[in-house]
Amino acid sequence: MEKLIELSKSVSDKAEVYWLKQNANNISFKNAKLHDIDSKLQSGASLRIIKDGRIGFACTRNLLNREEFLRNALNSLQGGAEADYEFPLTVKIPELNTYNASLEKTANTALVNECARVSELLKSKTSGEIVADAVTHISEVRISNTAGTDISYKSTAYYMIAGVIFPGSATGILRFFTSKAFEPMPDSLINEIIHLYNSASKVVVPKGGPMKTLFMPNSSGVLIARILSGLSGKSIYEKISPIAGKAGQKIWSGKITVYDDPLNDKYPSARAFDDEGVACRYLPFVEKGVLKNFYYDLNYAGKLKAAPNGHGYKWGGDTITTRPMPGIAQFGIGTGDKTLAELIKAIDRGIILEGALGGHSGNIPNGDYSIAVSPALYVENGEIVGQVKDAMVAGNIYQTLKNVVDIGDTASALGNNIIPPILCDEVSVVTKR
Amino acid sequence: MFDTLRKIINGAKADYADIRYEIKKDTIVAFNGRELSQIGSNSTDGYVVRVLDKGGLASVAFTQLTDASKSVRFAAENAHLIGKARKEPVRFAPTEVIKDAFIPELKEDPRKVTMAEKLELTRKYNNIPLKYDKIVMANISYREICREKYFLNSEGTEIREDLITVQLSGLITSRDGNLIQNIRVGAGGSDGFSSIRNQEKLFEENTAVAIDLLKSSPVKGGMYNCILNPGITGVFAHEAFGHFSEADIIETLPAMREKMKIGGNFGSDVLNIADDAPMPGQLGFYKYDDEGVKVRRVQLIKNGVLTGRLHSRRTAAEFNEPLSGHSIAEDYNYAPIIRMGNIFIEPGSHSLEALLGMLGDGLYVVDAKGGSTSGENFSFGALYAYLVKNGKKTEMVRDINISGNLYQTLKDIKAVGNELVLRKTGGCGKGQLNLRSSLGGPNILVNNLVVGGI
Repeated sequence: MEKLIELSKSVSDKAEVYWLKQNANNISFKNAKLHDIDSKLQSGASLRIIKDGRIGFACTRNLLNREEFLRNALNSLQGGAEADYEFPLTVKIPELNTYNASLEKTANTALVNECARVSELLKSKTSGEIVADAVTHISEVRISNTAGTDISYKSTAYYMIAGVIFPGSATGILRFFTSKAFEPMPDSLINEIIHLYNSASKVVVPKGGPMKTLFMPNSSGVLIARILSGLSGKSIYEKISPIAGKAGQKIWSGKITVYDDPLNDKYPSARAFDDEGVACRYLPFVEKGVLKNFYYDLNYAGKLKAAPNGHGYKWGGDTITTRPMPGIAQFGIGTGDKTLAELIKAIDRGIILEGALGGHSGNIPNGDYSIAVSPALYVENGEIVGQVKDAMVAGNIYQTLKNVVDIGDTASALGNNIIPPILCDEVSVVTKR
Repeated sequence: MFDTLRKIINGAKADYADIRYEIKKDTIVAFNGRELSQIGSNSTDGYVVRVLDKGGLASVAFTQLTDASKSVRFAAENAHLIGKARKEPVRFAPTEVIKDAFIPELKEDPRKVTMAEKLELTRKYNNIPLKYDKIVMANISYREICREKYFLNSEGTEIREDLITVQLSGLITSRDGNLIQNIRVGAGGSDGFSSIRNQEKLFEENTAVAIDLLKSSPVKGGMYNCILNPGITGVFAHEAFGHFSEADIIETLPAMREKMKIGGNFGSDVLNIADDAPMPGQLGFYKYDDEGVKVRRVQLIKNGVLTGRLHSRRTAAEFNEPLSGHSIAEDYNYAPIIRMGNIFIEPGSHSLEALLGMLGDGLYVVDAKGGSTSGENFSFGALYAYLVKNGKKTEMVRDINISGNLYQTLKDIKAVGNELVLRKTGGCGKGQLNLRSSLGGPNILVNNLVVGGI
């Protein structure tokens, strides 16, 4: 790595090397049986250089030929992609506890046994088809640049995804459990799956119209994709954010607080620095409904003359081959004070949206969503009546998030989003009736 | 290369082992408005080893040759763990041993086109929408993926195949006050660089649609009879039906597997669906899958009756059905899974005018904006639609998102148009990305679709 930085210095003004090593295991139970074990032992490096105000990029899995690696970066300078930024000097980074050595020693047999335990529990209490996956990730990242930054971290992550599929479909009630070390999935999550699945045994076709909709963590991706689109420095630069220039204004219900909380190392996605070596910190985006901040990587911060705030991430594909873009480490929506049972009790007529289909399509920058329920439970007078099929839920987040009734008191970690259930009113639901 | 690969899997001492080594060259030119945001070309490489032994199948993807023996050992240990936990052993359907090198013929090899020319061509297309005041952003990118694949298994198969994909795609965004609209645009293919030349008309037409969308009204949510144009018919064939023709999805869902029995009736006589990956010239073309099985055309539905399914060696054995050659990996990061190659509803006899006449009142829905499925229910977004009144297209409407029940909707396909159109760009995400997932169909008339509106 040092050699590469030295070599890069000889041909460019500034350089940065990002190095990653990752081992992963994925144990997959389908229909309550062990189906597959997939593993990965991967590493690689990416290089960015800045020369005469232009940015070059190269990546490799095997540093067999350093010269060729460098040549690829130099060649990419020729197009003239501008770099309105410098690589940062980051010496002091927050101390986080992201690594638990016990996960390195956790045998696959332990993960298989845990999937079997959860599968058997769900099978004995429901009549559905059972799925359970246990996943481990052990990662090491190091970022070094010509400004003098040389920082690294090691992290361990354990995920369990389990649930019950409604027979005849490929959708069901699923719950995610996340930790830095292997530990059994809590009973509370398993019981929630069983309760919701069994409450949905009857299929109902309610009359459509505006109604209360409880966005569960599993369907919150519909809201999050649109919130993040509006808050991204990239959207500001592209003039497609409906909330550009509205900092300080109340845009949503006073119950809504939205933030990035990268330093919360209770979760394995905690980060002390982003993928460009900028130190992370807590950043509120919306506080009690009032817009506070947007998020930037080095590139868009440079273009917009804003201060970079530690939000350059190589998300959205193969980390080694992907260039940093504006992203979030640990996206959070602030919890409220209602239990899930209390939120359901507060629904006179409405749906519990457990999952959504089509959240990635539609006019995301505008905040519009129009998704098929997958699945949803229909609630009347605070009681779950049954499952709704063939229904669509539609709206615009800039309207929906003004109509927040209440927020759940417990947030769930889904990947790097840490989200409570959110109950909104006046959401359009189209059914076949 | 094959010598190295053979040495690696010889260490497995298993019932069966295979290994795939790939060099993936990824070239990109991307614009963010008038600014060039990315340009460059990089090669990365890696291996995937799979071991089938003692009734279990497991895989390890690795990038360092020094990790080869460790990876083979892990795969074998995990295979044994699976075999021990299962009552029914994992088996592979037999297939012929193949020794072949397949390098596709291209209409202009993109690797011989200079980066400067790729840059200028992408800039030219990107600048087309930006000429107009109402267009606030164009994000057009050129992407070229060249996969040089070496596959070898313990049965003696040795295959070298190259897959070369070019894609010109992106988003055109229009804005009027607070109203933001966007439209996806794409061209490309797997038969050479010529597929992205002379695409000015495509960009002009899509720019006009992005501007027209600002003047259109949102569709009113409700149930509609619809004509789906070829772009969205293909997404319907792929999302709503096609994924459940992939045997690995229904293999472990007993109720869906029961419903999807060969010989079952799924639609009216007018409905015929095929996956034809060996069809030359289309995006999804390949010769061998990532298990070394030669791909063949599969008739999935004939006159409304389910007649075939897409298989890997594992699922063909499990279902006791013929192999089809549809086990495909995104790249060296992944073990293969079952993917559609080129799925389409086969054309029938009706012109668009005749279909509009049969529709009477409803929607003419144009081109897709993503779709997904949850088994019996599906959802897809459309770029836009026209209201149809008395068999005539009238005003444009936007924010079209459609959902439905697969089985009911297949039965609600009432008539099929006469012109087959296949998509030029892909991007199916089933845990892995398949850039070469081709799909299409003719215009089709479908009754009773739920449209979400906003």
